[in-house]
Amino acid sequence: MIGVIDYGLGNLTSVAGAVQKVGFEPVISSEATDLGRCEKLILPGVGAFGDGMRNLNDRGLVLPLTKMVMERRMPVLGICLGFQLLAKSSSEFGNNNGLGWLDARVSRLQPEDPALRIPHVGWNELYQKGDSILFDDIPELPLFYYVHSYKLETSAVETVIGECDYGGTFAAAIQSGSIFGTQFHPEKSQQHGLALLRNFLEKA
Amino acid sequence: MLRKRLVTVLTINNGTLFRTKLFEPDYRYTHHFVDSWSVDEIVMLDVTRDAGADRKPFFDLVTSFAHDCFVPLAVGGGIRTLDDVSRYMAVGGDKVVVNTGAVDRPELITEIAKAYGTQCVVLSIDAKKNEAGDYEVFSAFGARPTGLDPAEWAMCGEELGAGEVLITSITRDGSLRGYDLELCKRVSDAVSVPVSVLGGAGAWKHFVEGFTGGGASAVCTQNIYHFTESSIQNAKKFLAQKGIEVRL
Repeated sequence: MIGVIDYGLGNLTSVAGAVQKVGFEPVISSEATDLGRCEKLILPGVGAFGDGMRNLNDRGLVLPLTKMVMERRMPVLGICLGFQLLAKSSSEFGNNNGLGWLDARVSRLQPEDPALRIPHVGWNELYQKGDSILFDDIPELPLFYYVHSYKLETSAVETVIGECDYGGTFAAAIQSGSIFGTQFHPEKSQQHGLALLRNFLEKA
Repeated sequence: MLRKRLVTVLTINNGTLFRTKLFEPDYRYTHHFVDSWSVDEIVMLDVTRDAGADRKPFFDLVTSFAHDCFVPLAVGGGIRTLDDVSRYMAVGGDKVVVNTGAVDRPELITEIAKAYGTQCVVLSIDAKKNEAGDYEVFSAFGARPTGLDPAEWAMCGEELGAGEVLITSITRDGSLRGYDLELCKRVSDAVSVPVSVLGGAGAWKHFVEGFTGGGASAVCTQNIYHFTESSIQNAKKFLAQKGIEVRL
C-alpha cells in the first residue's frame, strides 16, 4: 500500500489515480497510524507553504511522519508543494519552517528575463544529473509539467538529480537517501511522469 | 525552454458535452472522447444555466475523465465559495476556473489563492465590445455587462491572487474566424501571469496568431475537429514548423 498523505491541500485524487494506473494501491489518509502501515509515502501538494505546514501540524502529522522518514527510512516522494515542504524553510508569505528533511530552503522564482511569466506553468525539459532510479527507462530531456512560483535551493548539490531552466536553473528533482522530490507533477506528465512514479514505487 | 500549450476546453451542460457558438450550446458530441495523450491540458466547464441545478452529473463526468487524465485538469462553473472549490478538487481537478463568482465577489480569488495557492486559480474573463465600441467584461454567461475593462480586471485579478488568466471573446465564440487578438494582447500586456486565449480558433494558423499576435502562453479550442489524436498532433507539427516551441 502506498500512503498518499492527505493534509487538506492538493490534488489527492489525481495522485492516487496515477498510483493506481501504474499498478499500486493508494491509501489517501491523514491518520499517522494508516500511513505508518504503508510501504511508501507520497506527499502531494498544491498550495501555499505556510498553509501546508499548518495543516500538517493541525493533523498531528509532523512528528510521526518525521519518524517514519528519518528513523524508519520509509521512502517518500514529495511533489510540487510537497517537495518544497521537505526543505527547512520558505520565504513564501513571510518566513515559515518546513519539515526540514532536506538541507534546503525555498524562495521565489526570479527569472533573469523579465518577460518570463510567474507562475512557471507548463511543460519544460528536465536535465538529468548523475544517475537515479527515478529516471530508469525515461529518455534524455523529458518534458514534465510544472506549475509553481517558488523554487527549492540546496547546498547539497550532489542530491540534485535533475534541473530545469526557466530564466536560470533550479532544482527540479532531488534524491537524498530514501527521500525523493520533484518540483514538477509526475501525476500530470503523461507517460514520462507515470514511468517516474512507477520507478519510485517499484525501486525506491 | 517552456513550451507553448495547446489546451482543450470542454463545456458541459446538464452532464452532456457541448460545443458552443455565441455562448449557446451548438450540438451534442457523439463521442465522449478526449485525446488526453497529445493535448497539453484540459479545461472542463459546467455551463448549466440554472443556478440551482444539480451538479452531480458534471461531477460524475469530471470523475470519469480525471480517472484517465494524466495531464492537468482545470475545472469550473458556478464556483462561489471555498466549499465549491474543495468539491471540484475532490473530483479530480488540479486547478479551478472562476468567472462570475469573482466578478460578484473579487475576494473569492484571494480566498482560493490563500487556501490552494495562486497557481490553483484561473481567472476566466468573457469580453466583447460594447455599444460604445469599448471592450467590456460580461459575466453570467456573457449576459450581464459589468462595466469592467478586461485588461484592468485581469490586472486586478492578478493582484488578488489569480495565477492564470483565460480570456474569451464572446463574439468570436464558435465563429472559427480566429481569436480576438487585440483583446488577448491587451490582457497579456496588462498582466505578468500566463494568459490563455479562447474563442474563434478555426484553423491551425489561428493558434500561431494567438501566440505571436495575442501574446498568449496557451491557445484553447473547444472545436470538435481538434479532438482526434491525429489532428492535435498535426496542429502541433504545424506550430513547430512555424517556429513555435510546443510539446510534440
